[in-house]
Amino acid sequence: MPGTAPGMSGQSLRWRLLRAVFATAFLVWGLIAILSYGQARHEAEELMDGHLAQSARLLLALIRDNESHLADLATRLALARSSEDRPYESPLEFQIGRADGSLLLRSEYAPASSLAAAPGYENIAHHGHPWRVLTIAAPSDDYRVQVAQSIDLRDRAALEVASKTVLPIALISPLLLLLIYFSVRRGLKPLDDLAADVAARSPENLKPLARRTAPREVQPLLAALNRLLARLADALDKERRFTADAAHELRTPLAVVKVQAQVAQLSRNPDDRQHALQQIVCGADRAARVLEQLLRLARLDPLAELPSAGKVDLGELARRLLVETAVTADAGSVHLQASATPLLVRGDGELLEIVLRNLLDNALRYTPPGTQVTLFVQRRNGDILLGVADDGPGVAPEELSRLAERFYRGRDAHAEGSGLGLAIVQRIAELHAACLEVENLSGGGFEARLRWVGSAGVP
Amino acid sequence: MRILLVEDDVMLGDGIRAGLKLADYAVDWVHDGEAARLALLDHAYQACVLDLGLPKRDGLSVLKELRQRGNPLPILILTARDSSADKIAGLDAGADDYLTKPFDLLELQARLRALIRRAGGTSTPILEHAGVMLDPASKRVTRDGQPVPLSAREYALLHDLLSHKQHIRSRSQLEESLYAWGEETGSNTVEVYIHQLRKKLGADFIRTVRGLGYRLDDTR
Repeated sequence: MPGTAPGMSGQSLRWRLLRAVFATAFLVWGLIAILSYGQARHEAEELMDGHLAQSARLLLALIRDNESHLADLATRLALARSSEDRPYESPLEFQIGRADGSLLLRSEYAPASSLAAAPGYENIAHHGHPWRVLTIAAPSDDYRVQVAQSIDLRDRAALEVASKTVLPIALISPLLLLLIYFSVRRGLKPLDDLAADVAARSPENLKPLARRTAPREVQPLLAALNRLLARLADALDKERRFTADAAHELRTPLAVVKVQAQVAQLSRNPDDRQHALQQIVCGADRAARVLEQLLRLARLDPLAELPSAGKVDLGELARRLLVETAVTADAGSVHLQASATPLLVRGDGELLEIVLRNLLDNALRYTPPGTQVTLFVQRRNGDILLGVADDGPGVAPEELSRLAERFYRGRDAHAEGSGLGLAIVQRIAELHAACLEVENLSGGGFEARLRWVGSAGVP
Repeated sequence: MRILLVEDDVMLGDGIRAGLKLADYAVDWVHDGEAARLALLDHAYQACVLDLGLPKRDGLSVLKELRQRGNPLPILILTARDSSADKIAGLDAGADDYLTKPFDLLELQARLRALIRRAGGTSTPILEHAGVMLDPASKRVTRDGQPVPLSAREYALLHDLLSHKQHIRSRSQLEESLYAWGEETGSNTVEVYIHQLRKKLGADFIRTVRGLGYRLDDTR
């Protein structure tokens, strides 16, 4: 593939395919060569054996006719043999004798094989070369004829026949390989196209890849890729929104600080200046609070589990927080409703304190002055609950589900706040395997709580 | 000069209002889109400073509706949304200017001056009539080259009259231009300021059109 740079891990699919096809092709050619050689050899062998048998019978016939002139026959045979010098007519050596093994006549180079051996074919070594020997006996069993021929020639012939079969294939093999190469390339082109499509994309383009033109085999991969792209786009979108919201939440207090600073500079009225300076301080506080919440969320976000978990007594936690709150908040309006027995959960005390603080902060911030706020820790139906309730105006029902969204603030909320408080609570709840529940109370008011479902607490 | 400020953030709205008051604008401040829509229906403003992310009704929707009614009020969008796409959307929806938070108060004032000036059909920043010159940027008024010290209300009244040189301005129009909500005072205050302006700029500088209101004298 074009995208497969050298040194890139993972094998090229094309080369794997090509290697496999090439290897198969070579294997098949090799087999063809071996088989055709074997076949040719077999044919040549039969041919040769036939030839030997024919020659032997011929000799036998000659002997019968020339019994009295055997010496003469030898000379004529020698003459006939030496006159021929053709590649496929290897010299036929022979021995002629009687059944008792006595030799009557032999050609010059005939192997010295015993004539007394049982009639039939035999492979022997003669002058370091393999020979094929045929011994036959006359029907009356008075004469024996042995003919012998070198096998080298036979093998050479077989090889030649085999090579004539294989050679054309070998000669067109480059063409074949080329064809295979292009076929594989063509076959894999949809993959290349896909790779090119992905490579040509800008990083912002997370639209699904077109699946219509892709081959069926790639469809599952494409589907998985598209699912991943969708998830990525979603995450990126969230990230972008988060950044925009964070920027907005930071810009607003900064804008407050700047505009009030300029008002303080330009104003000649001491009261106005004092007010503006006061607002600058508030604006800076607000920016600091937003930053703190953002950082808290950023630290909580990557956590897969609580960094330091221990036993936390929720009642104790709530009591401590109430004492602290009494100093800063309108003490009369916050009450505690905690069970007398300690309610223990496994968790991080500091984080759970943040939960209570944020819930309490929301209850005080988004309700009219004089609202009764209750901090409660209790066991209800086997679940452990930790939360804050108020008797204020409640929250619009359609907004309930969005409350824990980052930067979401009620549509009519004029009170300043980062919109991160409940998001942080939600995250801490997740880390504690608890769920965050928010609801309008039937008797009026609003309640937000953490629920440890069916929790027996910590023994 | 009366301006509508639409800003849902309490602290920021407080700052902007204070900053605009320093430039002697009468500022009506509303906190949500719906209130903005109603205020724009009921009152005459010289300009509007509009936030986009608003409760109840988005700023862009307020703006679009205003333009659909054919209201040419100069609108400056003041928002934390700083992307080009947002700016384009805002300007295309009918805004005359776009400023992002955090902003410079002096720049906001200058941009408003420019918007109001152009809405009045003049290209020169200095307003002039019969030897009286008013510079909105420095808020200095001169008569025949001599500086004339004016109170904030006197200045605002003179600015209004100079901005509508060709028109008769009724007492209620002048009142509306001078005062923000909750500032309305006695029924004869406009007459008081007219009287003081005549003392400083010449008795016949402002003419009374009986039964209708006031206009700058154009016989000289």
